[in-house]
Amino acid sequence: MSKLASLAIAVVAVLPLAAAPALGKDWTTLKIATEGAYPPFNSVTPDGKVVGFEPELLDIVCERAKLKCETVIQEWKGIIPGLLAGKYDAIMSGMSVTPKRLEVIDFSIPYTNSPSTYAVLKSSPLLKALGEDKRVMLTDDAAAKASAAADSKALAGKVLAIQTATIQADFAKTYLPEVKTRVYETTQEEDLDLKAGRVDAIFASASSLVATLEQSKGEIVLAGPKYYGGLFGLGSAFGIQKGQPELKAKLDAAIKSCIDDGTIKKLAEKWFHVDTTPRQ
Amino acid sequence: MEDLVAYFTLIGFGPAGWGVPLARAASMTVAVSLSAFGVGIVFGMVGCWAKLSRSVVAHGAATVYTTVLRGVPDLLVIYLLYFGGSQAIGAIARAFGHQGFFGLNGFVVGMMAVGIISGAYQTEVLRGAYLAIPRGELEAARVAGMGRLLMLRRIIAPQILRFALPGMGNVWQLVLKESALISVVGLIEIMNQTRLAVGRTGAAFSFYITGAILFLLITTFSGAAFRRAEAWAMRGMGGRVRA
Repeated sequence: MSKLASLAIAVVAVLPLAAAPALGKDWTTLKIATEGAYPPFNSVTPDGKVVGFEPELLDIVCERAKLKCETVIQEWKGIIPGLLAGKYDAIMSGMSVTPKRLEVIDFSIPYTNSPSTYAVLKSSPLLKALGEDKRVMLTDDAAAKASAAADSKALAGKVLAIQTATIQADFAKTYLPEVKTRVYETTQEEDLDLKAGRVDAIFASASSLVATLEQSKGEIVLAGPKYYGGLFGLGSAFGIQKGQPELKAKLDAAIKSCIDDGTIKKLAEKWFHVDTTPRQ
Repeated sequence: MEDLVAYFTLIGFGPAGWGVPLARAASMTVAVSLSAFGVGIVFGMVGCWAKLSRSVVAHGAATVYTTVLRGVPDLLVIYLLYFGGSQAIGAIARAFGHQGFFGLNGFVVGMMAVGIISGAYQTEVLRGAYLAIPRGELEAARVAGMGRLLMLRRIIAPQILRFALPGMGNVWQLVLKESALISVVGLIEIMNQTRLAVGRTGAAFSFYITGAILFLLITTFSGAAFRRAEAWAMRGMGGRVRA
């Protein structure tokens, strides 16, 4: 018993050390988690292959970073806890860099930056009410507030769909406090309820709405202003554990080369029909 | 008619059909549920023994076990084991100078989590079954000079089985439905596979209804199996259960 007790004391005594950053690691292999249900970023085919913008970019990034990469599928809800628990080394799943997430994990430089906007049924009066397609930078506070106020007015008495734990949800909370919202786990549920009439509009990132538009065969369309920057952060990046400078440097260098030589522009136009290359 | 053809192409076994992954996912659901049910029986037997034991410690521990596990959400137990478990193991291992990945296999974690939860229900089912054995039979066996093991084999076990089977059938259905929660650990069972297929195709109704049919098929077949088992356990008892 005393042996067991002393072992327990030893374990408790050294536990705080475990929180210290791991020593420099020579990265040769990388295990990457993806949601697999977020087209066109990533989705899984019947034969279990992950396809989309991200897997194609990942192949190139891994080749340039000289990493042997393996992809695992992980539900969105548990994707950050899984990284923290060490189930995999990185997340590549259309995850935006946000201050809130930066409190728990680190990010590479972004590899895509898509605006956030509304999607409505083509027959909906909101298509007109939300106004024209214009670029609004959240860094321009006055313009952002004016635009959001106009949106709130158009959405009065309507219900807006947002996905849980997304920056679009944060936007709705901060800029559209009077608008009634419904929170969804997945984008498909939002699409279904928009068609069913349970909500009147979806607020999401334009690149994730590409799949919604394609699957609806013209029934659902984009509407209103496109919001960039500020709260929406810098775009999507690889999420990695804190204290991994070697891994971050490797990924950053590979992403930068993909931005510089137009690889990302090419892939974005193929998958999103719009250039989402991040620009600082 | 056209819609029906489209539906069967979608869930069929053709090149663009999801038949193969869905079948694989269904067998994964059955495999993880069966394993979890087995783990649950082991926990249930230990729990039942402890609850009936005269030892205050064993009885107290079993009461805490059944109260806590039946009182907290199942998803929480799975998260705790899967994410919390490997963080704890990882922290301890790193403290001893190891580095790298300390993963608990998703199947094992799912099996243990659902097994431990269902074990709490099994405990109560088995305890109830034991208490349903007429005391007179136990006394008679003791008077006849049976040892504890012989008594367990001839008197207690067959009757516990008879009384517990209907309750165990309920626990099995519970386990089967809880297996859908295991999708959070990344195991590709029915729930997770339909989610992925909906994500890819947007055909939510087709795939969720297919998932529901798969679950119904499994519960129907296992329900029939339990009825047969009950009929067998009740043989010679006046045929109160029909197969």
